[in-house]
Amino acid sequence: MKVSAFRQYRALLRKDIVMELRTKEMVTSMGLYAMLVLIIYYVALSQAGQAFDVTRIAAGLLLLVVVFTSMLGLNRSLVHEQDQGQLEALLLAPVDRPIIFFAKATTNLLFLAIVEVIIVPFFLIFFVSGAVVPTGSTVAVSQSGPAWMTALALLIGSIGIAGVGTLLATMSVNTKGRDFILAVLFIPVMFPLLLVIVSALSAVLTGDAGYAQTFWKMCAIGAGYDAIMIAVAFALYEFILGV
Amino acid sequence: MPDTDGAAKGVGSVKRQLQVAIILAIVGGVLTTAAFLMAFTTARVQTFGTIDAPAAVETTYPPAPAAMQPTDGTGVRYQRPWLSQKIFYFHVPIAEASFLVFTLAAIFAVLFLVKRKQSYDTRSRIGMETTLVFTIGTMITGVMWTRASWLTNWSQLGREMLSEPRLATYTIMLVFVIAYFVLRNSVEDPERRAVYSAVFTIIAWIDAPISFFITRMVPSNHPIVFQSGMDTTNLIPFIIAQIGMLMLGYAIYALRVAEESSRDTLTVLKEQLEG
Repeated sequence: MKVSAFRQYRALLRKDIVMELRTKEMVTSMGLYAMLVLIIYYVALSQAGQAFDVTRIAAGLLLLVVVFTSMLGLNRSLVHEQDQGQLEALLLAPVDRPIIFFAKATTNLLFLAIVEVIIVPFFLIFFVSGAVVPTGSTVAVSQSGPAWMTALALLIGSIGIAGVGTLLATMSVNTKGRDFILAVLFIPVMFPLLLVIVSALSAVLTGDAGYAQTFWKMCAIGAGYDAIMIAVAFALYEFILGV
Repeated sequence: MPDTDGAAKGVGSVKRQLQVAIILAIVGGVLTTAAFLMAFTTARVQTFGTIDAPAAVETTYPPAPAAMQPTDGTGVRYQRPWLSQKIFYFHVPIAEASFLVFTLAAIFAVLFLVKRKQSYDTRSRIGMETTLVFTIGTMITGVMWTRASWLTNWSQLGREMLSEPRLATYTIMLVFVIAYFVLRNSVEDPERRAVYSAVFTIIAWIDAPISFFITRMVPSNHPIVFQSGMDTTNLIPFIIAQIGMLMLGYAIYALRVAEESSRDTLTVLKEQLEG
């Protein structure tokens, strides 16, 4: 009996989630790593002085922690599959290959989202809302945009990262350089998306006049990029698994 | 791994490939040289006016005559140097040639994934090699142009490269091509290497149309040549340079293909002699 695509997808999702619930390896390692990056930010900004307005670069810092954490997570999630021979077992199982891609991308997105939910509030509290008003500044300090906008921009970024990242990580685990190769392939592919997301995030976090317009424009471009890239990754994933 | 498909066609086809490539290289070289000479002799320097720069800007170009200087003393007005116009006859054609060979590489990557013939992988790889050469050429001429036309100094250049849309996407294209070779060198199994390289070429190629059309879509400092209007004396060498450089780009690619396939043919012939 042919199992429906949705049930195959659910079974694969369940496999990854059950494994994560037992080992708690992905979320803890990604979360801890993200925390450590925040500590490094704290050190890096410790000498910036009172007059420095951190919100001006907050979007870039936030994106940086997401990108680094996601690269760690992507690599780990595929190394798992590879080391224990799971990928081969999956290929032997009567599962459609595109479904393997979507299941893997979904779990990567899920774990990244969990880590973001933990880490982003921390980031916003320490670096944005806690930012000292520059002394003697005549400009009224602008208010950040609503939190759901930050979440939306990060979600668009994370969808792209998980989609293309899954394809590239599947390639890089079979190479000699593994995580290095992932970084080399991942960062140029993600570059346009990162640029767009940092503009959207920056618009929200600084809350300058007319920020909503920039935000929606950037989100639209980002979503378009996600759609194109995921379609391409989906079409090419089968070739990667074949060899 | 010798390409048996290529060898079956024999020495004759390699010879023909080589002849076409050499003819293209010669014609392309002559046209490019002619355009070079015309650019420096017959082409009229169109005046785009002057450019204002803050007083502290570091540039080798002469300031405009005293009568043209801003009266409030806020900055220095420089003559827009003529070099920016001469370099442009090469910068644009080299960039076009880089897009051409990159597209060839992507087409052969798709063909490889569909037909799994080893010669397609070789062609795709050679396409990427040629892209690397032309991308670096575009960057060098681009830096010269930027220095001359925007009066950008070296410290501003890095900033410009990642903030100006066309420059940023093109820089990423160079990073893609370098990453391609890093990827190739880190996969040992030949079949897997070919498949991964083809997949990555296709993903990387998406950047090419983005880079090409981005100056038409978002506000950018990068000029769009055909919208700015040109004098006939400028247009003729420009078109000749474009045709010549595209031919040269294809010729370099075809020469390398002929070289690789003659090597494969030789390997097969050797094996036949021994066996």
